[in-house]
Amino acid sequence: MEEALRPIAVGEEIPSLTKTAYMPIDPQGRNLIHTDEYAKNFGRRGALIGGSTLLSYVLEMLYNYFGQNWFYHGRIKVAFVGGGAIDGDVLTAHGLVTAVGPEEAGTRLKLDVWLENQDRAKVVVGEASCIQPST
Amino acid sequence: MGEKSGFEAIPVGMEMGPLEIVLDEATVRERVELVQWENPEPVEHLHLAPPGVTIVHHARMKFMALPDLRVSIWAKSEHEFLKPMRMGSKVFIRGRVVDKYVKRGRNYLVSEYETVDENGEVLLRSRETGVYVE
Repeated sequence: MEEALRPIAVGEEIPSLTKTAYMPIDPQGRNLIHTDEYAKNFGRRGALIGGSTLLSYVLEMLYNYFGQNWFYHGRIKVAFVGGGAIDGDVLTAHGLVTAVGPEEAGTRLKLDVWLENQDRAKVVVGEASCIQPST
Repeated sequence: MGEKSGFEAIPVGMEMGPLEIVLDEATVRERVELVQWENPEPVEHLHLAPPGVTIVHHARMKFMALPDLRVSIWAKSEHEFLKPMRMGSKVFIRGRVVDKYVKRGRNYLVSEYETVDENGEVLLRSRETGVYVE
């Protein structure tokens, strides 16, 4: 069942979401960027948190706003920028509405989304959109 | 002329998988814990996997298909969510290398993934670009 959401205007932010990044050691993991030694040689501060984990922080923020609509109408396109994120970074996901337009299934909201660390450096930037049914 | 290196030898169009994933409760909860998913609605009330739970397996598929790959770092990723994934169900991910290029001395691999349910219905479409290091 799709939920009705309160109207939101271009220029408004949906509620942000903050998490302290955490990545346990995966003994079966083969990707060396998740090891301190390789990541530091690669110019990073330490073992990088996986991109799919960073993406999930943004997805939870979007799910918190769009609810079950996200399962059927959610779209996201992001780039991983800056130096990435490491264990212990405090990361906040943001979503700023950039456009609202009608579609057959309802009204689609478009947002700029980003994930920034405790120094306000962006580590993920991109766009997302989802149908918000008419209220 | 010598033989092509690992990256040069990867054929565009190469298929990866399919990978079968059983979304049993333990599997979903393990991922929920790892990514610190706090909203209880999907798992506790709807018995659905939170969005994006299977995306981590795309990298796993790349490492399985490309034995020379040592490091993969996402540069870009794009996902379209079409239907929810039910807890207790099986899903299948099919992947394909769709492009590769070199930029500023780094190798990039572009791959697409389609996640389908047991009836073949598409649940999630993804396109990912990653730095490829041997």
